[in-house]
Amino acid sequence: MSEHTPKEQNSIPTSKVERSAKFVKTGFKIGGNYIKHYSKKLFNPGMDKSELNEDNASDIYESLSELKGSALKVAQMLSMDKNLLPQAYTDKFSQSQYNAPPLSGPLIVQTFKKYFGKTPDKIFDKFNVRSSNAASIGQVHQAELNGKLLAVKIQYPGVGDSISSDLKLVKPFAFRMLGMSEKELDIYMKEVEERLLEETDYELEVRRSIEFSTACAGLDNVVFPTYYPELSSKRIITMDWLEGKHLREFLQTKPSQKLRNEIGQALWDFYNFQQHELRAVHADPHPGNFMITPEGKLGIIDFGCIKEMPEDFYYPFFSLTSTGLMDNKEETIKAFRQLGMIHQNDSPGQIEFYYNMYRQMISLFAKPYITDHFDFGKAGFFDELYGFGEKVSKMPEFKQARGVKHFIYVNRTNFGLYNILHELKAEVKTDTFKPHVVLEY
Amino acid sequence: MATIESIQKAYVDYVLTEGTEPKSVYIFAKKNKMTEAEFYNYFGSFKALEQNIWAEIAIKTLVEIKGQEVWAQYTAREKALSYFYAFFELLKQQRSFAVYSFQKQPRGLTTPPVFAQLKDIFESFCVEILNEGIESGELSDRKFFSKRYKDALWVQFGFVLHFWIKDSSAGFEKTDEAIEKGVNVTFDLFQRSPIDNLFEYGKFLAKNGGIKESMGFGSF
Repeated sequence: MSEHTPKEQNSIPTSKVERSAKFVKTGFKIGGNYIKHYSKKLFNPGMDKSELNEDNASDIYESLSELKGSALKVAQMLSMDKNLLPQAYTDKFSQSQYNAPPLSGPLIVQTFKKYFGKTPDKIFDKFNVRSSNAASIGQVHQAELNGKLLAVKIQYPGVGDSISSDLKLVKPFAFRMLGMSEKELDIYMKEVEERLLEETDYELEVRRSIEFSTACAGLDNVVFPTYYPELSSKRIITMDWLEGKHLREFLQTKPSQKLRNEIGQALWDFYNFQQHELRAVHADPHPGNFMITPEGKLGIIDFGCIKEMPEDFYYPFFSLTSTGLMDNKEETIKAFRQLGMIHQNDSPGQIEFYYNMYRQMISLFAKPYITDHFDFGKAGFFDELYGFGEKVSKMPEFKQARGVKHFIYVNRTNFGLYNILHELKAEVKTDTFKPHVVLEY
Repeated sequence: MATIESIQKAYVDYVLTEGTEPKSVYIFAKKNKMTEAEFYNYFGSFKALEQNIWAEIAIKTLVEIKGQEVWAQYTAREKALSYFYAFFELLKQQRSFAVYSFQKQPRGLTTPPVFAQLKDIFESFCVEILNEGIESGELSDRKFFSKRYKDALWVQFGFVLHFWIKDSSAGFEKTDEAIEKGVNVTFDLFQRSPIDNLFEYGKFLAKNGGIKESMGFGSF
């Protein structure tokens, strides 16, 4: 992490280790800010904390801008530039500071005693107090029970509280950075806060994991760990240990095109089945949440972040991915209005402008849906996406918030998916689970 | 026949119901249908009784943590953490009494008498794990200071106790955080750190030609 070029960097640290290293650094800086604050305060007792908060926020933001995945970069193209910052928080707050110091062995034992009244060695046949890796807001330990290898995820204490208070801390700074009013951004921030807080509820996560893995059980080449509600609680989740490689490691083994296509297809089916059939989707397509098993199947872990899509968002948005609606200008504008992309009081000139821009954007986004198969390995599509995003982010017309709040996570999901497929260089059949479309509004 | 437990239980029940300690041992004994002598068999005063309740929690804590399978693998740092967590977990079962007893104590820098026994137990435990830590090289053996490590831990303990009394978070999660962060910082200070190196370097410079001459490249 030494030779960093802060805001613009070519590669994003993806492994959890790298990410956490980055945030350890931020942690140090923030610690330093506190020291700076208190030493200044010695000489000037009247000083308030605003400077400190600003120092913290800017350091947080700096590490954010280094970290935001390419998924976020692409999402700019839906002019969600404004909504991007909250997305960056999402990543920060889920991966970041909580990754830094691993929980001590005694705290793990304490957490078990608190929720089960027993120490882990009384619950499992074997339990490793040293964690094997970091999960988003906790850490994972390996355990064994009745000859079965288990993964036990334990949440850091106080995460829920910190999320709300940290968001509050960084908020005013964010508004200023983006030059927009609190009211405008608030609705997006709320959405993010809601999702983040849901992620801290492990009981909810277990319920959803079981629900989703049951619903998706019929998909080809996708496997889920079994969850054990009786060994889970508000802060602990116990599931089967999935043997396998993370995406990056998998790619290093130089898998064949056929295998990459199969994994890509499994991913595509997994996401599009949820979006179009369940209308609720695993909204955290972070490479760390997937494993490729030795049998060449896609293992899915972590259902902490689920985005439900209400009908009044689903239909207008996904109908736009069909040429049928897009060819009808009047109906398209109606859909844009419903999605908050064209506002009530826009002038005819503005309507024309946004209509044209959003139309281009969505047709870009919908490209994989238009044909029956799509090669995500080709660079052209992604260059076009980035190029367009770049162009849009420089336009003054997009300096205000547009689009309903649901875009934040739906974009994150879909661009995240596109990106992983791109890394896989997979060619997939895109007509397996098609969007449900209406042609008129 | 009254036992230590039954007397303690009756006492805790009394103070929590009445909000204050009984006027005299006589009244307390009469109310609980025992003789004064029975009370004095075990305790010299109400204060001694309260001391004993706190000390018992400390002893229970030690039995509990030393009985855990992982104990032997723990470093000194982890042993200390383990003590803190287990102590406050046990204390939770008697929170009302703990709050009552704690708040009755005069505020000040000295240890309130009611914690005297608890402190003895705590300190001998600390000395035990600190010595282990120093022997294994986990902790830095510093002249004068390493003898005071246990005091730092006692201060830490007092801080966490105070924090816990005021903690209103669900499941006392905030206290867990306070323990995790506080004990870790304290142990970071016990470890060999840049300060030690700086100190050694200073000593070296002092011995080998004055510090002044060694600074910079020459005379300006």
